[in-house]
Amino acid sequence: MKPPRIPVRLLQLALPSDVREDITGDLEEVYARKLRAEGARRARVWYAREAVALSLRFGLERWLLRRVRPERSSLLNAVSVLDFKLGMRMLVRYPGLTLIGGLAMGFAIWLGAGAFETIRQIGFATLPLPEGDRIVAIHNLDVSAARPKPVRVHDVLDWQTSLTGIEEVSAFRQYQRNLLVEGRGAEPVDVAEITATGLRAARVAPLLGRLLLPEDERADAAPVAVIGYDVWQDRFDGEANVLGRTVGLGGTTVTIVGVMPAGFEFPVAQSLWIPLRLDAIAYPRGDGPSLTAFGRLAEGVSLAEAQLELTTVGARTSAAYPDTHRHVRPRVTSYTAALMGISPRDAKYLLSSNLFLVILVVLICGNVALLMFARAATRESEIVVRSALGASRGRIITQLFAEALVLGTLAAALGLAAAGYGLRWALHVAEIELNGGRLPFWFEAKLSPVTIFYALLLTLLGAAVAGVLPALKATRQSQSGLRAATSSGWTFGGVWTAVIVSQVAVTVAFPMTTYLMWRDIQEVRTLDVGFTETEYLAAQLALDPETTADTSRASLLTRFEQSYRALERRLEAEPEVTAVTYADRLPRTYHPHRLLEIDAGGAAPLRPQWPGYRVSNATVDPEYFQVLGAPVLQGRGFRVSDVASDAPVAVVNESFVELVLGGRNPIGRRFRYTYFEEWEEPRPEQELGPWHEIVGVVPDLGTSVGDWDPKRAAVYHPGSPVTAYPARIAIHLRGDVASFAPRLRRLALAVDPALRVMDPKPMERLHDSTITFLEFWFQLLLVVSALALLLSLTGIYSVMSFTVARRTREIGIRVALGAPSVRVLPAILRRPLMQVGFGIGAGAVLTGALVYAMAGVVTARGVALLGLYALSMMGVCLLACAVPTRRALKVHPIHALRADA
Amino acid sequence: MSHYTLGEFEQLVLLAILRLEGAVYAVPIVDEIERHTGRAVARAAVYVTLRRLEEKGLISSTMSEPLPERGGKARRCVTVEPAGLEALRESRRMLDGMWKGMESVVGVTG
Repeated sequence: MKPPRIPVRLLQLALPSDVREDITGDLEEVYARKLRAEGARRARVWYAREAVALSLRFGLERWLLRRVRPERSSLLNAVSVLDFKLGMRMLVRYPGLTLIGGLAMGFAIWLGAGAFETIRQIGFATLPLPEGDRIVAIHNLDVSAARPKPVRVHDVLDWQTSLTGIEEVSAFRQYQRNLLVEGRGAEPVDVAEITATGLRAARVAPLLGRLLLPEDERADAAPVAVIGYDVWQDRFDGEANVLGRTVGLGGTTVTIVGVMPAGFEFPVAQSLWIPLRLDAIAYPRGDGPSLTAFGRLAEGVSLAEAQLELTTVGARTSAAYPDTHRHVRPRVTSYTAALMGISPRDAKYLLSSNLFLVILVVLICGNVALLMFARAATRESEIVVRSALGASRGRIITQLFAEALVLGTLAAALGLAAAGYGLRWALHVAEIELNGGRLPFWFEAKLSPVTIFYALLLTLLGAAVAGVLPALKATRQSQSGLRAATSSGWTFGGVWTAVIVSQVAVTVAFPMTTYLMWRDIQEVRTLDVGFTETEYLAAQLALDPETTADTSRASLLTRFEQSYRALERRLEAEPEVTAVTYADRLPRTYHPHRLLEIDAGGAAPLRPQWPGYRVSNATVDPEYFQVLGAPVLQGRGFRVSDVASDAPVAVVNESFVELVLGGRNPIGRRFRYTYFEEWEEPRPEQELGPWHEIVGVVPDLGTSVGDWDPKRAAVYHPGSPVTAYPARIAIHLRGDVASFAPRLRRLALAVDPALRVMDPKPMERLHDSTITFLEFWFQLLLVVSALALLLSLTGIYSVMSFTVARRTREIGIRVALGAPSVRVLPAILRRPLMQVGFGIGAGAVLTGALVYAMAGVVTARGVALLGLYALSMMGVCLLACAVPTRRALKVHPIHALRADA
Repeated sequence: MSHYTLGEFEQLVLLAILRLEGAVYAVPIVDEIERHTGRAVARAAVYVTLRRLEEKGLISSTMSEPLPERGGKARRCVTVEPAGLEALRESRRMLDGMWKGMESVVGVTG
């Protein structure tokens, strides 16, 4: 395995050519040694750390050497130390700039590093296990329904016997069980029922005893368990003779055969492991418990090569077992991303969002650059004198860069501390949200070395923008200034205009985005779902699988349907219940995205953002629309016979007719799903799902969450409680809806003790979690907007102050010559006004584009509102000009002439 | 050159070079210092020190043939020059001088 690419590239850039070959050779030699001894992850981390250390040492030296004159190179160290000392002195001398600039850069680095670490942990985490990056997940997709298909026993057995590119193919199930220790009572514990190969694939030796063995999976084997370190400590007080003890686990008794070391929670967040038996005889193909499958990539096999082999194996299975696997396509993906539900497309989006943050960092540091340039202007004479005494331009640039780097380093420390704190806080909140559950073991409440390295790069970038840009500008002007023997030559040129324009543009965009988020929350709250939702009680229903003797999926679903029907009958017998219905998703709940294509009968133009028509869908009871009181506007509603029909039919909403068909008659038109959650590559023709015929149109029934969410076009499919499992139930009631919830629970318990009624609440409150999520983003955007505004106004203020200070003499002469204020003002304000104007224009365009990208529509009212908003922002920005302008107009001619004399 | 005073780390690097046999380059030098001193050594510091010692004429270096196990890259093999030996002797002499009579005050460790 080669060393990591980015550190290698960094070394190529930083090391002088005369030592590059031997140093990189040495590193490769040690890297190979570490790879063998300590595994890929540690070796790569070591290499990256060495590369940073060497690059900093040699890169800085090289950079400085290039900029100082040859005869001073022997003073290199002294010069650089002096620069940093000067930088420190500047921080103390200009506390305002230190505070604002430091906060701004710290904020930028906090945002950049925090987001990078979050994205890394969510989408790109490597398992902290030996060669953890080789562990991959294998899962199934059902291309006809455009959704994941659970992995069953036979799938895992097929993969175990057929795959060579993926070794140690294993599977697990996870759940909670009560762990009953004699004399200590029962407490729930997170259990992984895992194949022996699975636990072995983690490559972690037990602390005591042994791992699970293939013999433990035999039907006649004595039930055994391996426990985690925390269970050993908490439930057995770390007793040395814990091995061989029997404990109760759920309804069974198991013997402890091993203890894992502290921190081991593989495969997700478990503390106890029992053997999983892959019994092919017990279940027909396509049946049995739902499993999570994974394996290790064989030596030298890439993910793409493994996928190629898996596709071939999948095609063979499809052909051999068309009844269960005709539309099933297996996929191999990153283990952590798969367990987190992150698709490859999501991962790309996540990664690209970093670019946006880098731009933000550049913009924020651009603002700091503006302040530093204004400060450099006050040191003009110092710079001119240094130039006259022989300091080269490179020398002065080095000094200003070092000053910015000192500020940046302090800011980075601040930003990283805040990011570390923020990460701990976010993980803490996430664990609270999990209601006692645990986050996957690869989540760490600390910043990774990669993130710290990334933050260092951001700091260098920030310092380059904030230090070198003003330095280049200042030194150019000071040199020409020296030649012209004048001290009024410093001006804000094109670069600064660009900085101010982009600052103002971002400042305009942020509050608008925040406002849109706020409006979104309001719209979710006041969303018209098209029927009287206050009369409905909604709840989610699921069956506890462990209480059935036969744990197969088919048995579970059959029992669920029976229990549901019995509950339905009981409910309908209640005097206050008028009707009952079910669906997999109810109005006001989150509806995932689907992309579809329409037959050749004409359609609305495709949105450029998506490679298909983006819709939401739901599987519903044939009587769903009747129960909700939603009229069928065109065609017909569902019939009971549609559920099992070979010719799939669908009902669409009014927005579908408008957004997908461009208002054309939908009845009899056909569509099929092309993408699932937008992330897959386009599928080959034979992998596409079946065509569905549209038979009716209903009003929009609250499938879209807010105005930003363009999934207003919705499709309904008829289904049984089984196809909608785990189903949501909607009960139409007379009288108080909320007070019926306990009654619903009692009825469900009477029907089937294993039928769980989750989260019963009035239908109008189904969006509570959506609101909480949006409010979190709203508050975050509010803080960012406030900071962006503060920075921008500071920037504008400093530009104005600078302009006025530079033109004091001119203003004085004008006033002395009798020019009235009204004539002087435009001359002062012209440039800042133009800059702010351009910025606001750009910001308005940016905001408009953002709104269009999210909502997909442009309305006259929207444009008018945007115009009004732009004008008010102009007013706010001009407020920053008020104080310097007032100062300018108070300039006394005599003072003005004396000041610059 | 005998007026040049070696720093502690420079002495460690020179002594490591002298202790090693065969091809002496940065990787075994780092290992040797770590083995004998029991403390972690910053690789960058070793490279910088080797460069400085060579600039001062205390060591000299030659490039080996490219080696496949190093990705086809050569090693920079170093040897201590007479001036280096002299500087080491001088440093030892100075230290010995300062230590004389101090054992009873500082104590002697095995």
